[in-house]
Amino acid sequence: MPSEMDQFVAEVTTFLDAHATRRARAAEDVAWGEGEDRITYFSTDPPEVENAKVAAAKAWQRTRYDNGFGWLTGPTAFGGRGLTTLHDLVYDGLEAAYEVPETGVLSLIGLGMIGPTILAHGTDELRQRYLPRLYSGEIIACQLFSEPAAGSDLAGLETKAVREGDGWVLNGQKVWTSVAHHAAIGLALCRTDPDKPKHRGITAFIVDMTAPGVDIRPLRQMSGGSEFNEVFLTDVHVSDDHRLGPVDGGWGVALTTLMNERASVGGEGAGPVGRAVALPFLTELLRANGRLDDGAARRRLAELHADTLATEYLNHQMIRKFRAGEQPGPEASVSKLMYAQNLTRGAHFAAEIIGPRLIADTGAWGTYSWTELLLSTPALRILGGTEEIMKNILAERVLGLPKEPGIDTRSPFRELRRSVGSTGSGRSGE
Amino acid sequence: MSTEDTTSTELDELRSAVRDFMAAKADERAVRAAIDSERGYDDKVWAQMAEQLGLQSLALPTEHGGDGYGLVELTVVLEEMGRALLPSPFLSSVVLAGTALVAAGGDEAGRILPGIAAGTTTATLAPPSVDGGWSLGGRGAGDAIAVTASAGTDDVTLDGTAPLVLDGAGADVLLVVAGGPAGPGLYAVDAGAGAAGLTRTPLPVLDLTRRIAKVTFAATPARLVGAAGGAAAILDRVLDVATTALAAEQVGGARACLVASTTYAKDRVQFGRQIGSFQAVKHKAADMLTRVQVADAAAREAARAVDGVADAPDPGVAAAVAHAVCSEAFLAVATENIQVHGGIGFTWEHAAHLYYRRAKASQLLFGGPAVYYERLLAKAGV
Ligand SMILES: Cc1cc2nc3c(=O)[nH]c(=O)nc-3n(C[C@H](O)[C@H](O)[C@H](O)COP(=O)(O)OP(=O)(O)OC[C@H]3O[C@@H](n4cnc5c(N)ncnc54)[C@H](O)[C@@H]3O)c2cc1C
Repeated sequence: MPSEMDQFVAEVTTFLDAHATRRARAAEDVAWGEGEDRITYFSTDPPEVENAKVAAAKAWQRTRYDNGFGWLTGPTAFGGRGLTTLHDLVYDGLEAAYEVPETGVLSLIGLGMIGPTILAHGTDELRQRYLPRLYSGEIIACQLFSEPAAGSDLAGLETKAVREGDGWVLNGQKVWTSVAHHAAIGLALCRTDPDKPKHRGITAFIVDMTAPGVDIRPLRQMSGGSEFNEVFLTDVHVSDDHRLGPVDGGWGVALTTLMNERASVGGEGAGPVGRAVALPFLTELLRANGRLDDGAARRRLAELHADTLATEYLNHQMIRKFRAGEQPGPEASVSKLMYAQNLTRGAHFAAEIIGPRLIADTGAWGTYSWTELLLSTPALRILGGTEEIMKNILAERVLGLPKEPGIDTRSPFRELRRSVGSTGSGRSGE
Repeated sequence: MSTEDTTSTELDELRSAVRDFMAAKADERAVRAAIDSERGYDDKVWAQMAEQLGLQSLALPTEHGGDGYGLVELTVVLEEMGRALLPSPFLSSVVLAGTALVAAGGDEAGRILPGIAAGTTTATLAPPSVDGGWSLGGRGAGDAIAVTASAGTDDVTLDGTAPLVLDGAGADVLLVVAGGPAGPGLYAVDAGAGAAGLTRTPLPVLDLTRRIAKVTFAATPARLVGAAGGAAAILDRVLDVATTALAAEQVGGARACLVASTTYAKDRVQFGRQIGSFQAVKHKAADMLTRVQVADAAAREAARAVDGVADAPDPGVAAAVAHAVCSEAFLAVATENIQVHGGIGFTWEHAAHLYYRRAKASQLLFGGPAVYYERLLAKAGV
């Protein structure tokens, strides 16, 4: 009798065969010198191309969802399948053999971070209203956390939410908001009580991104494209049933999002970018440049490969633990740090092998195309909590080292110093 | 040998039993006493390891007096030994010699293995090349085979010098890869009673917790183990297993250094603050933790792979990854551990140098970075 997993594999294969084309070659095989040579992490597409890709992503997610593969691990009551992380992995492995649209614009933030947060903290009404729409690709969600004066020190945020009637009025500015320009909803953290210590006066809301008073302005990234934005909130009305978690209990909601963010960023091993800095592709790069016998190049290739595989092993072990019902632990931060480091090293290693043909587009296949990755990797050390903040977390929460002295978590928020010019009594900090 | 059935609870129990044993028998004082002793390890503790915990027999096959477990279980033991820096011939006798004999098979292996499993015989395996390396490749001058064997099976004699033999002065049985008429083969010398033409010279060592000797053979009687000319396949298996075992030891040692640094960073006060509140120290500790976590993942995965667990990666690749990553991690963490301790970390009395010595010697034991990175590329087909 076929096992439950065998049946699942058969079901997925039937679905994929019916709705997608199988790739000509295995995803990990290198087609050196052939086809697309762009190695894109952040998009540099013009708006019409970007919009078409977003539409394709939504359509593919819809197809997945309609066939029961949109949200494998979600509860059935909200449109999920009630299966395990292992099913997710098996599905991803099978889908990798087919040509399907990239769905990162939906999955990284909306499905990877906001969905789990709504599931954990939302009322049944909110879950019913948004989870099926998110996981069916109907809508995209963004994360309205960072502000100009509150990045690493997220709890120092100043966007205000004030009660009015049976709802709230929001005023303030968010920044670095990825995919806001495609999003229908955003998860916003707002200050609701400045007289409480900074972590205790924050409340989380689901904001309609099309509501009056929401102004989204694109920010251009160093990589050339505009995938993040400034979001200005001016007298934006949010009804109280769109509050997530208790009033002044928003920090706990935020922590759920941040935990999922670390796992979401660190876990992205595969994909075209991962393949570009993996051994088979880099070996072909050395071969094509006559460097396969160069001892120094081999050494760096091997060092990178050892660390990349070890990080992959760590991710697999983390997934096996999730499967056994354990919570994400410090591995998520470790794996995020390693991911950023490995990808950065890989990009710079390739650049060294390619040499001057990387600095101007000569038209040669697989040379100038690496600039996109080189111009993207700096962000990996910043987004989702900077490298320095990850290290503070590991040292303080895992190893139990003492906190930075002078960080004030007790005084009322309104008394804290929030910029060099201001006169609060404390200093900003964690 | 299937090890998929051992649950994580059982592994935790094994770990805590070994850890308790090490705490009782191999604290720092005991380690230092063993270092200063004639033999280099405490033979009473060695006997208790066999009698009370059955550690020597754990991962040897049942038909040779073992318990039939695999590397997944053995690496738990090795990690605890590495954490304690236990001086013992475990790596040489159980891991190197034990694996070589099991891989070789045959009557001679069957004669020696039960004693190893019982802890009553200690054996070791000499590195094959003249420079103390483990390659049979013949690429550099240093790859030439150190010892040659005369023709035959039972009445063979060995000639040559193996320059760096782990526990070579004390082992009862010396296994030697020697160039024979059919190519390199594995040979056994009964050294316990002092064989003819055998000279064993203990050498001064960087890692005080592991003894090394120069061993010279002059028409020394030996017996062939396994097939004539069969050393290449045996060595390949030995290196996968031994580097995986060493990786677990290295993770244990690295963890001990991380704990020592963290504890000290909480205790030591300068400028009116615990030094662990200075971000330079804090971030050093986070870097150490990151290295330990990744090394731990690599060592675990290699153990699963070498045991042939169903969804594990290729054993050659995983063992090579673990050897590289754990060697680098242990050395880095042991080095930073001295730095976090400041002046006291540079004293003879502090344990930091014992770990640093172990880390550096372990990194180079099977050839060092120049060898292990190439081994990884070779295993990955590059
Ligand atoms: C590509 C990209 C996408 C993003 N997408 C989103 C999004 O969708 N939604 C969202 O809310 N945010 C998003 N962000 C914002 C991101 O979370 C912040 O940039 C990040 O948390 C850092 O905050 P900051 O930029 O204000 O830098 P700062 O916090 O000002 O940090 C500046 C420097 O100071 C260091 N530093 C700060 N505090 C400490 C400390 N205590 N100890 C040691 N060093 C410290 C930092 O490590 C950094 O090196 C995105 C950022 C990027 C780059």
